Amino acid sequence: MRALVVEDEPLLNEELEEQLLEEQFSVDCAETLQEGRDLVAGDEYDLVLLDLGLPDGNGLELLKMIKKYYDETVVVILTARGEIEDKVKGLELGSDDYLAKPFAMAELRARIHAVLRRRFKISDNEILIGKLLLNLNHMEVSYGGKPIDLTETEYKILRYLVLNKNKTITRIALAEHIWGSKIDDRFSLDFINSHMKNLRKKLSEAGAPELIETVYGVGYKLEAYETEQ
Amino acid sequence: MKLNNKILLSNLVLSVVIFVLTSIGMYYLVNDTVYDELDNHLLQHKIDIINQVQGDPASLKEIRKLGGLGSYEWVEINPYDGTVEPNTNSFATIDTVRSPDEASSESYRRLATTISVNDQYYNLNIYEEVAAWQNISMTILLSVLAGLLIWILLLYLLNQMVFDRILTPFYDTVDTLETISDPTDFDERFPDSSTDEIDVLNRALNTMMNEIRSSFEDQKKFIQNASHELLTPLSIIRQKAEKILSRSDQLDRQTLRSANEIQETAVRLSRLSNALLLISRVENKQYELDEQVDIAGVTEKVLEELNDFITLKNISLEKEFSEELSVQGNQELIHSAIYNIVQNAVKFSPEGASITITLNGGAENHEFKVIDEGPGIPEALNGSLFDRFKKGNGRSNELGKNNGTGLGLSLVKSICKLHGFGYRAENKEGAGAEITLRF
Repeated sequence: MRALVVEDEPLLNEELEEQLLEEQFSVDCAETLQEGRDLVAGDEYDLVLLDLGLPDGNGLELLKMIKKYYDETVVVILTARGEIEDKVKGLELGSDDYLAKPFAMAELRARIHAVLRRRFKISDNEILIGKLLLNLNHMEVSYGGKPIDLTETEYKILRYLVLNKNKTITRIALAEHIWGSKIDDRFSLDFINSHMKNLRKKLSEAGAPELIETVYGVGYKLEAYETEQ
Repeated sequence: MKLNNKILLSNLVLSVVIFVLTSIGMYYLVNDTVYDELDNHLLQHKIDIINQVQGDPASLKEIRKLGGLGSYEWVEINPYDGTVEPNTNSFATIDTVRSPDEASSESYRRLATTISVNDQYYNLNIYEEVAAWQNISMTILLSVLAGLLIWILLLYLLNQMVFDRILTPFYDTVDTLETISDPTDFDERFPDSSTDEIDVLNRALNTMMNEIRSSFEDQKKFIQNASHELLTPLSIIRQKAEKILSRSDQLDRQTLRSANEIQETAVRLSRLSNALLLISRVENKQYELDEQVDIAGVTEKVLEELNDFITLKNISLEKEFSEELSVQGNQELIHSAIYNIVQNAVKFSPEGASITITLNGGAENHEFKVIDEGPGIPEALNGSLFDRFKKGNGRSNELGKNNGTGLGLSLVKSICKLHGFGYRAENKEGAGAEITLRF
């Protein structure tokens, strides 16, 4: 999953980046409105942490832009305590949540999980597909109660497919959700294949049936039947 | 040859030619004058003798006997022998001796004419020595020429100084022009000058530089705006294609393939626009360069980001970070440059190869070096590796397979230029490429 941090305070920016990396996001950072605009213009993010008081303008502009083009992107506004007007305006413009600075990282995590649950229409931090259980909170995967040891990249792939179950995810989208858009796409696609091979092997070793379907020439799809949920 | 030397030299050559011509002319002029004067002198003698013998015909004998008129002249009077037309004067310069006991002959001017005494014609030859006159004429000639020569040399030296002074603004302009590498980096003005032509030249150059600069800037701005404006529509195309693709089970193969191609092309285009945007932002100097950047730290971060690829390709990393190396610049850009260099090395490395990253923070050379064991830099790209959109001719397919925008290294180049870093790429002996950044 891809996240963008727009925050002009470098230390906080770095801290947020680290937090999101820990949550297995692929993170881009911007310290100015301009950088934020450049990044948002080219890529769709799953999550944007947006500070409103930027040195070269109001973050609300960025919010408008995001909401105009990407209706699925989750935006969490970071405001200084007391700036109710901004908060209200942000929510009116379509931001999904807000956090008043200073905030604890645990609170941030909880909020992120909450909005992502809304975004992907799930009710719990634990997603069950058949016997496959994926815990968003602890980054754990198990099949039939037996934990599967996945690498971070494999976890990211599986999580993205699970969150987007029944949808075909293109290989480019998958690559970008893992490594961001800085990586050369023609270069990274081969790596998706190898990671996918390893992931499937681990899943089948745990006894899972073929959950991940290859859509030839396009990407992958994780099939989940409503009845099994 | 320098302009002032050229002018001085042609002046000198011209002066010498004129000097030689003047010398020859002067020589003939002086000689002519001397002979005219001699001839007048001889005629005067003749008139004197005629007057003398007409007053006293008997004195003829005396004159004949006496012969000399002075120490440089003498007279011969002989009975008329018909060799000379009566009553004509003929002049000649002859070498002869005055008396048989003289050792060598000398040059004399001779007037051969006739006189009549008591109705009897006589041959009259009057001789006058030339040497004395010639001495005087040569002295005059030489002193005049010497004066001229000194004048020429003096003029040469003076000219040298004067030209140097006059041409200084011109040379300043030329020197400045020589140092310009990038018109957008040049913000001096060519100064006004009191010399009209140089003033015109400098003003024209100023106007031209301004034009170039502003069109360069316009171009960069345009690229920046265009790539920025392209990003959003491309991104929309891409998301829409992705939405279509996400319902792959409702689509037939043909539609699926088309949608996939639309998506891939849109992705490639937006990557391209992104890279162009970043490059033009760098070239338009829209970044602050006031951070202290720890190169080792940035490198570690890049390696962490690329770790997946390094591990999967079984690449062994050799890190030689000798000392702390911190440079002033923009963290994000330096990260981007190092990312691109390392990514290239990983991309072109064969399975199981090794990549050596050296960081040299010594007193003199602050260097960052990445050496891979890949195929190296193709011959056709030598020298233009860092230029935009340059891929090896004929190899583009081969490279294109895993080459993205072809802008990675030109981004490195513009970042280095902005920071004033040196960059170099060369092939290692055997196989592989070596990319060096010098801070």
